[in-house]
Amino acid sequence: MHRLAAAPHIVWSVLFIIAPLMFVIYYTFTDANGKFTFSNIASLAQASYFEIFMRSICFALIATAVCLVIAYPIAYFISKAKPKTQKILMMLVMLPMWTNFLIRTYSWMALLEDTGIINTFLGKIGLGPIHMINTAGAVILGMVYNYLPYMILPIYSVMSKIDVKLIEAAYDLGSNPFQVLTGVIFPLSLSGVISGVTMVFVPSISTFYISQKLGGGNFDLIGDTIERQFQTAYNYNLGAAISFVLMILIMISMGIMNKYSDGETEVVV
Amino acid sequence: MKTANKVYTWLVFIFLYMPIAVLIFYSFNASNSTSAFSGFSLYWYKELFSDSATLTALKNTLILAILSSVIATVIGTLAAAGIYKMKNKYVKSGIMAVTNIPMMNPEIVTGISMMLLFVFVGGLVHSSSTLGFGTLLIAHITFNLPYVILSVLPKFKQMDKHLPEAALDLGCTPAQSFLKVELPNVMSGIVSGFIMAFTLSLDDFVISYFTIGSGFETLPIRIYSMTKKRVTPDMYALSALIFVTILILLILSNMTSDKERTRMSQKAKKRAKIAVSSVFGVIGVVTLIVLIASSGTKTLTLNVYNWGEYISDGSDDSLDVNAAFEEYYAQKYYEETGERVKVRVNYTTYASNEDLYAKLKSGANSYDVIVPSDYMIERFIKEGLIQPINLENVPNYQYIKDDFKHPFYDTGADGNTYSVMYTYGIVGIIYNTEKVDEEDIGGWDLLWNEKYKGQILQFNNPRDAFGTAMYSLGIDVNNATEEEWRMALDELRKQKPIVQSYVMDEVYNKMESGEAWIAAYYAGDCLSMIENNEALDFYYPQDEEGNYITNIFADAMCIPTSCANKELAEEYINFMLSEEPAIANAEYIYYASPNTLVTENAEYQDYLEDDYDVIYGTIPEEDLPELFDKYAFRNLPQDKLELENRLWEELKVDASSFDPSVYIVCAVMVAAVVGFGIFKYVQKRKRRKLYWNNNAKSPATA
Repeated sequence: MHRLAAAPHIVWSVLFIIAPLMFVIYYTFTDANGKFTFSNIASLAQASYFEIFMRSICFALIATAVCLVIAYPIAYFISKAKPKTQKILMMLVMLPMWTNFLIRTYSWMALLEDTGIINTFLGKIGLGPIHMINTAGAVILGMVYNYLPYMILPIYSVMSKIDVKLIEAAYDLGSNPFQVLTGVIFPLSLSGVISGVTMVFVPSISTFYISQKLGGGNFDLIGDTIERQFQTAYNYNLGAAISFVLMILIMISMGIMNKYSDGETEVVV
Repeated sequence: MKTANKVYTWLVFIFLYMPIAVLIFYSFNASNSTSAFSGFSLYWYKELFSDSATLTALKNTLILAILSSVIATVIGTLAAAGIYKMKNKYVKSGIMAVTNIPMMNPEIVTGISMMLLFVFVGGLVHSSSTLGFGTLLIAHITFNLPYVILSVLPKFKQMDKHLPEAALDLGCTPAQSFLKVELPNVMSGIVSGFIMAFTLSLDDFVISYFTIGSGFETLPIRIYSMTKKRVTPDMYALSALIFVTILILLILSNMTSDKERTRMSQKAKKRAKIAVSSVFGVIGVVTLIVLIASSGTKTLTLNVYNWGEYISDGSDDSLDVNAAFEEYYAQKYYEETGERVKVRVNYTTYASNEDLYAKLKSGANSYDVIVPSDYMIERFIKEGLIQPINLENVPNYQYIKDDFKHPFYDTGADGNTYSVMYTYGIVGIIYNTEKVDEEDIGGWDLLWNEKYKGQILQFNNPRDAFGTAMYSLGIDVNNATEEEWRMALDELRKQKPIVQSYVMDEVYNKMESGEAWIAAYYAGDCLSMIENNEALDFYYPQDEEGNYITNIFADAMCIPTSCANKELAEEYINFMLSEEPAIANAEYIYYASPNTLVTENAEYQDYLEDDYDVIYGTIPEEDLPELFDKYAFRNLPQDKLELENRLWEELKVDASSFDPSVYIVCAVMVAAVVGFGIFKYVQKRKRRKLYWNNNAKSPATA
């Protein structure tokens, strides 16, 4: 009786997870009339699409790295605080996510514009306006801002479980603080880092809203290109092909990441 | 060190909360600007509670979140129980792999994959309204399921295996053992899974965006369509309210759980948890019942899909035309049938004809009234996507000027009328008089003027954007050869480095705030912008001889073939032509009206003052048919349509203005990570060698 309890879920998964992916593959390899073709995939070999993929990967990598650099110390500090403070601080990390991300990104527009809040402020204290909106930096900032909590959360939860005795033992055995960080804390928190990296990288590489608002449509990313095929150009086949390639790309990078993390844990042991 | 940590923590939190502080601050702004604060006011909070569309969207979002998270929790908990009991390792990991897909896949891929499924199935069963609440609910349940399963399954694993066995030995039936022993043990996982599902569903935009239909709008979707033009501060007010509510809830839960922990035993705590979750459940069910009951009276729904900023919507003390229609028709229906009904206009907006085409052509969305432009109407008629209007049901059609009754795109050749003209207008160039020199204006070349690099806005739709290039090159927009299309593309490519961004209704915000200086846009919208910022002015581009050389267009109300209630749609069109709403619209949107009830109204003429001449006087009425012939867009032959799409795609993916430094930073980073990996690997090998050497030596020394 018990095993059958999973039946509704299995049926659901087949209908609404597997079947839709089959349709992505079907549309990838057919043309508008439903005939089999490789032309959708082939058209992605154009230099301009290659550039879009490269650009998206680059933006996402940089955003992920920046998130990691910001999040790691913060997660560490929080995990070192008193239990009650820890709880409050983590609550404060999660709280912004309850405000719709579209409106928060829109709010960044108001901050970054040439006539926006930051530049008005800079103007008042006599500093020249700095052009920030519609640049690559603004798009990356948008990604970092939106996905930073996804990086802090897993790193914190792993760090808060690190056995303090291990750190003390390292000090007792003569390590300096830097060695403790690189030799003990970092390897032990690596699983959190890996899941944080995935949780930031995947949404960053596929976003379409942030680049449109903060990049002014000058930096087409993969997400923008997919969205345009479905909502404006009415070219489902090309859109499906791009999604298909994106999916494979992500599977490959996850594979690499898992392999890399396995290797690292071996070092620890 | 300690203070440094604190400063760092503070900085990160300032970063996280800065945009939220901005939106809370501007929700108290007296004006609707997001850059200038003109005084404290609660106006937008008051406005929020009279904004029925936003409140409906909020209600919809809550219904969807409750339903989808409850269903996902039930299916997910059962699934976790089932998976826990499974013996076969491969089946188990196979199921888990599939379960994880929606979590691992980018949201956009999940969204489009479900959209493809729904569109395909809808096509098979010839349904014209596949997308809607149902599909949205399915999509939300699907992406909620893995989160529920992943938070419940570990609790099953942590549970003492002997507990259910003991229960069975003591005479429980399997069902009793499940309900009384296992369920309470995993309850904390169920609750956290439910809360996570609820939160995710509440905030989801991407997946909803692809699976939502015409008759239903959630809050994130509404915010999205608002950010396409301008977000009114009542949305800020709503966000501020939600933020404060969540903050209070979190503080309360934090305080109580601290007290509980010190006072309660393990058992009591568990009981409290069950109580809390059942309270949650009861609240959910009650809300649902109330919501369903409140929608009990018979409702006639009309789905209207129109351009953004294209109707008098009740702001600035104007007439809320849709609300007026709801009231008018409910009354009329009562008088005719003696039955009370609720009339609801679902009013949503699109940004370009091409967006409208993609939505309609997918065959999965059902709209009752749409307002496409001339060339798109021609295409819709050709492809059978709109149907003839029964003019007997639209008596106000008589007030349309004769010249506009059978325009070129709807000649009535087959004896039918497919469209009723809503407005017409001309594309002009709007510019900021404080920034742009007088000698530079006059022609299309202003859009290509290097002097204004980074201050120019271009249309974000292919037909209008290519139009600007073709007019400036003197190419015939309707009969351009492939070579000429490519010339236009080169012209746009040349322009791309000096363009600030490609926009549609975002133009309002950017021009009014002074963020951009120059844009080509539709005349009526230009006048609206000038109304809000005195420094703006606009002109119709002319060639050297002083002839206007620009696009002239007409937008008309049409009824799609998939319309669910044609008579109601015709009733709406008729209402839009009647005096009061027609004048309210014309005064609000500043476009030229083909309706004599409007143009001959003295009050309307007074209201417009000088603008009347700009709108109607620049081009003498008798010249209009000729100008339409010469300068309107026509539907293109299929091969040119495909070419246009291809070239537009080429322009969009082109990144001529792209700064390569990002690549360099990225390359350096990747090199650093790879270098670190190699370093670690070498270190590891060294350590291993050392280990083996020591182990090999030690027996010898002993």
